[in-house]
Amino acid sequence: MKKRIIASILTCALTASLFIGCGSTGGNASETPAAGTKEAPATENVETSEDDAASAASNEELSGTLTFAIWDNNLNDFIEENDMVGKFQEQYPNVDVEVEKIKDDSEYWNAMKMRASANQLPDIMFNKPFTLSRFKDYLIDLSGTQACANNELASGYALDGKVLGIPMTSGYEYVFYWKDMFEEAGVEVPTTWPEFEAAAKTLQDHFGKDNPDFMAIACGLKDEWPDYPYMEFMPALESANGQNWNTMASQDAPFAEGTDINKAYNKVYNLFTSGVLGKDPLGLGNDQVTSLFAAKSAAILALGDWGLQNIANGTDDISQLGTFYLPTRNTESDPYNVIVQGDSFMGVTTHSKNQEAAVAFVEWFYSEAWYPSYINYVSSASSMKNFPKDKDPVLAESDTLCPDKVLVMYDGGGDDFTAIQNETTFDYKKLGAQMMTEGFDLNAALDELNTKWAEARAKLGIQ
Amino acid sequence: MSKLGKKRKQFIFVALVVPMLLLIAFVVFPAIDLFRMSFTNWDGYSPEKELIGMANYVSMFQNKDLWMSLKNNAVYFFIHLFMIVVELAFAVLLTGKLRAAKFYKTMVFMPYIINGVAISYAFSYFFSPINGAFDAILSAVHLESLIRSWLSDPKIVNYVLAFVSLWRFSGYHIILFMAALQSIPQDQMEAAEVDGATTWQLFKYIQVPAIMLMVDFVLFDNIRGALQVFDIPFVMTAGGPGYASSTFTLYTIKTAFTFSNFGLASTMAVAIMFMIVIIYVVQNYLIHGLVLKDRRK
Repeated sequence: MKKRIIASILTCALTASLFIGCGSTGGNASETPAAGTKEAPATENVETSEDDAASAASNEELSGTLTFAIWDNNLNDFIEENDMVGKFQEQYPNVDVEVEKIKDDSEYWNAMKMRASANQLPDIMFNKPFTLSRFKDYLIDLSGTQACANNELASGYALDGKVLGIPMTSGYEYVFYWKDMFEEAGVEVPTTWPEFEAAAKTLQDHFGKDNPDFMAIACGLKDEWPDYPYMEFMPALESANGQNWNTMASQDAPFAEGTDINKAYNKVYNLFTSGVLGKDPLGLGNDQVTSLFAAKSAAILALGDWGLQNIANGTDDISQLGTFYLPTRNTESDPYNVIVQGDSFMGVTTHSKNQEAAVAFVEWFYSEAWYPSYINYVSSASSMKNFPKDKDPVLAESDTLCPDKVLVMYDGGGDDFTAIQNETTFDYKKLGAQMMTEGFDLNAALDELNTKWAEARAKLGIQ
Repeated sequence: MSKLGKKRKQFIFVALVVPMLLLIAFVVFPAIDLFRMSFTNWDGYSPEKELIGMANYVSMFQNKDLWMSLKNNAVYFFIHLFMIVVELAFAVLLTGKLRAAKFYKTMVFMPYIINGVAISYAFSYFFSPINGAFDAILSAVHLESLIRSWLSDPKIVNYVLAFVSLWRFSGYHIILFMAALQSIPQDQMEAAEVDGATTWQLFKYIQVPAIMLMVDFVLFDNIRGALQVFDIPFVMTAGGPGYASSTFTLYTIKTAFTFSNFGLASTMAVAIMFMIVIIYVVQNYLIHGLVLKDRRK
């Protein structure tokens, strides 16, 4: 008897939930025309109404559920606060979107690799420049979309003529610094690499004498990746060649003396080992050094534009915060190269069962309905020609200080480079951290890399 | 056949077949697939993979970073092995009539039930070179001369990480030993006491032989744990500086996910399975054959 009562209760609950489910869908459906009516101007001509009606009808033809996998915390917050799914459904009432947040980008690539092999990639995924070639067989061509046409960078990252992702932001790299600390130590904003080294040394000597924990340059090498502005981008800046990794893939000894990467890594090595990273950079992670920088226990921090939000979260006063571009040139007569890269390439996967709806989502994401409010929410720069964005005053300072900058569009490396990198286990971020270990010999490390590189090219048959 | 007998047979059949099927599906089949994958050059995401014979095994033996990582595993193994004796002593102490024994038992077991990643993060800050609690404690007791770069000095980093591992897992071993000690029949202990056995004699001749099965398990768990240690070095140092605190598992995962070489990573996983078995057999021989001369028989 007891079981029957429980069974009856469960059945009632199930039936009720079904009704509620149906009710909510109905609600959405009824909201859509209402919203449309509200937005439609009273003076609209008949032709436009017909176009809208046709467009709405075609929108309603699309249906299904889309999985949208992301790792970016800021994007996730914005999606939740602004009801992205609801707004999308105002235009596409029969398409549902499930946002899947993954902890961070490292976890993201791990998850995506496993899902790629299991034919279970999400409908819409993001890529970085260095993962585009890895997932190229799983992404459809978006070159025919309006989003691609309006994007400043998308076509520059096309592989075999196919645009596999639309970059969500333009990524610039900055050196954040505290103006008041520079002033106190009598340091000018550097415009060449020797000046940068000298500035860091002066800052370390000035503030380090009273504070043994002080770091002229904050770099959380315990996490390894925070050295990327130096280890990943400096070879491209040194050579003014955004395709630097791909060029290296065609050489047998790319690390030999006199090559751009050799020069760049020697510069980094001399800087890192000059004591300007503080007493123990290998013992601190990026979160720790960012907090210490925000608390002015460090004077310089090199990060992407996204770093501004993290710094601002750690302090109440950023009035003395400034930026300049990493000056890697040797003299003022050399060009002032600055890295720019497309970031967060939104793509539609071949595993998607609703590719048409997924492409519609990409178009909607980069349209007036969503993109302008998102790009104004984050500190990153816009990648869309039709929605330009003024830089944050802190970031804009770098442009004022460097009016003659030469943009170098960074490419993360194609198939050949990735294959050689995997074969040789060349990990530039780890190499940067290794520079700080006792007994590290840069020349020996580069020689070993040359040997492995030539062997890998021969083994893989790369010309 | 009676209805009860039939039901019993059905139960035995289901109880045998279901676990066997689960075992085949989730252990045997993946292990065979792992073995097969170790002979391929699969990158982890491409639909196709080629058989490359023994190339991965050759490459594994030539990889000096991998073997350096294995050396780091040895630090965990020997420190934990040494501590098993101390853990056993603690278990005996806590099983006896100790004031506030329940409180101590809870305290000892607590680290094991806390999430490993949380522990690793907490200890990262504890050993931080700036504003780190450990350095502050040393300074407070005027031992500044002992302050080191705890997480970045290749000479000591593995010992620091092994200490965190000890802090986390010792309680688990103590609880296992205590459970085994409590299962010893009390009349046996009391009879020995009446016969005038000392505490040491009770420990040596009754308690240790009675819990030998548990000792074996803890020793095996130590080998498995030491060879598969991952979360603590991953969170606290990411295997750095360089590969100074990398472990076999950490290197395997890096090979698979960073360098997209699932074939080679599978080879490493196969190697670790064999190593666990070989080390266990050798350890068993050394302990039972040479040290205890198989006294438990």
